[in-house]
Amino acid sequence: MLKDLSHDLRITPTRDERTRQEFVASLRRHVLSDMASSMRSTFEREVQPGFERAHGRPPRDGEEVHDAMQDERYFRFYSAIRYNAQEMVFRSVIPVVDRNLDELATRVRERPGDAVLDPGLRVPNNVANIDVHLSPGSYHSEYLPDDVAPGAIYDNSIHVFAFNQMGRDIDDIGHTFANFVRLAWPGFRPRAILDAGCTVGHNTLPWAKTFPDAEVTGIDVSAGLVRYAAARARSFGLPVRFMQMDATRLAFPDESFDVVFSSMFLHELPLKDIRAFFREAYRVLKPGGLLLNMELPPNNRMQPYDRFYLDWDSYYNKEPWYKPFRDQDYPQLCAAAGFAPERFVEAVLPRYTYTPEEQFRACIDRGARFGSRTGRLGEEIEWYGFGAWK
Amino acid sequence: MSAQHSNRKPRIPLHHRGKRPRFFEASGTDELMSMVLELTAELWVVKKRLYLLERVAGQAGVPLTPQIEGYELDDAEVAELDERRSLLIATVLRSLEVDPVERGRMREEMESLGSPAGPAGRVA
Ligand SMILES: C[S@@+](CC[C@H](N)C(=O)[O-])C[C@H]1O[C@@H](n2cnc3c(N)ncnc32)[C@H](O)[C@@H]1O
Repeated sequence: MLKDLSHDLRITPTRDERTRQEFVASLRRHVLSDMASSMRSTFEREVQPGFERAHGRPPRDGEEVHDAMQDERYFRFYSAIRYNAQEMVFRSVIPVVDRNLDELATRVRERPGDAVLDPGLRVPNNVANIDVHLSPGSYHSEYLPDDVAPGAIYDNSIHVFAFNQMGRDIDDIGHTFANFVRLAWPGFRPRAILDAGCTVGHNTLPWAKTFPDAEVTGIDVSAGLVRYAAARARSFGLPVRFMQMDATRLAFPDESFDVVFSSMFLHELPLKDIRAFFREAYRVLKPGGLLLNMELPPNNRMQPYDRFYLDWDSYYNKEPWYKPFRDQDYPQLCAAAGFAPERFVEAVLPRYTYTPEEQFRACIDRGARFGSRTGRLGEEIEWYGFGAWK
Repeated sequence: MSAQHSNRKPRIPLHHRGKRPRFFEASGTDELMSMVLELTAELWVVKKRLYLLERVAGQAGVPLTPQIEGYELDDAEVAELDERRSLLIATVLRSLEVDPVERGRMREEMESLGSPAGPAGRVA
């Protein structure tokens, strides 16, 4: 069952539209859970032994697994269904957003929230030139003055996309990492927190809830997202500021933040922009501050099959920077931006929303352990995060 | 339902920019997959609506569900439904019943029927 969004920007689909959204959510659950496990068994039972007979060794990396899977009937159906389901996610919400577009813009104009726009900002190519993960209009397209279409499309579609696995308000990632910081370093009291590439602020707001004394800021390049994010935060009664800004060129003075956070952000950036963002993060962090990125786990820590499985999006879901990012050495990325190598941190965490706090704490204590559930959306997903102390 | 049939022109594109990947070698299979999935989505929408129809009618004092379960079809109705069901099956499977021929033979056939296939040899 899908629920209505829980804030004032909710829009109501017709009964048939909602039924269709629920169908798409179930279809995704089926592909990502049931079909994904059958595909893994097909690999283990048939493809891997075949590969070993032909090469005298198991596949070395994700690409070799990909090549070997290419001709498998099951892989083709898995891919075709997953691809179509992704298109259908957007098709199931866009007509609802379209119908409510003017009214939503009015609602946001009347109760705008703390939004700081920069009309002169150039939307970077990684957003402007492709429809990222098949999202029509990408993150930035606007269709009327003061439009919030990008926010409404993202917010409504991710509820279908997540099939109830990412928290009631799609905020489990934020809760997981904010509480990770709170529990792992009880003496650390962040006063200023930045969330880069925050989209509609799903995972920004949990920082304001976890650290009520901190000033929390979210930035994104898209005006339509920033307007929506600010009005959404206001509707939840949370004092968070949203600014239109490029993470590779932050407008903040040096040493302004205790925490620079990002989630699901780096893998949508070209490598040079990841590097630029990390340098900027280092600059705006106070000494003793923390850079923390929730992300996909790195390929060099995963089994070949899991690398192949996670890299699917890079090939087929219009996420061209996904695999190049996952192929990086993450500690090296941090070190190149100036962070001391011994101050690297990483974590593999269960979802805070769905885990008793004692168990969550125990997972922090045992340290990062990578497995086939790490970074893979499904009922048992574990989130991965990495970064460094300045 | 009516909201979906408004005359206002949609502004947001429904389709993303760029090419769709091809997963199957046989031409048309990828498109067929999309058709099957869209069809299944539509079927689910209709099934759920029928379910709701029975519930709503029941609450309005028209106990449709038991009446449907207990309804005795007469011979003519059985025959009509048999025919409709066969038609549905034939419609869904119709593509299997056509002999695929190459374009050349189609063209010959068209020409023999007095309908030139045109300069580009296009056969719709
Ligand atoms: C997958 S979304 C992030 C999701 C979000 N952090 C969350 O957890 O809900 C990626 C976001 O990064 C933004 N973005 C892309 N390039 C950017 C840049 N150079 N600076 C700031 N934001 C950027 C996009 O507009 C998009 O909203």
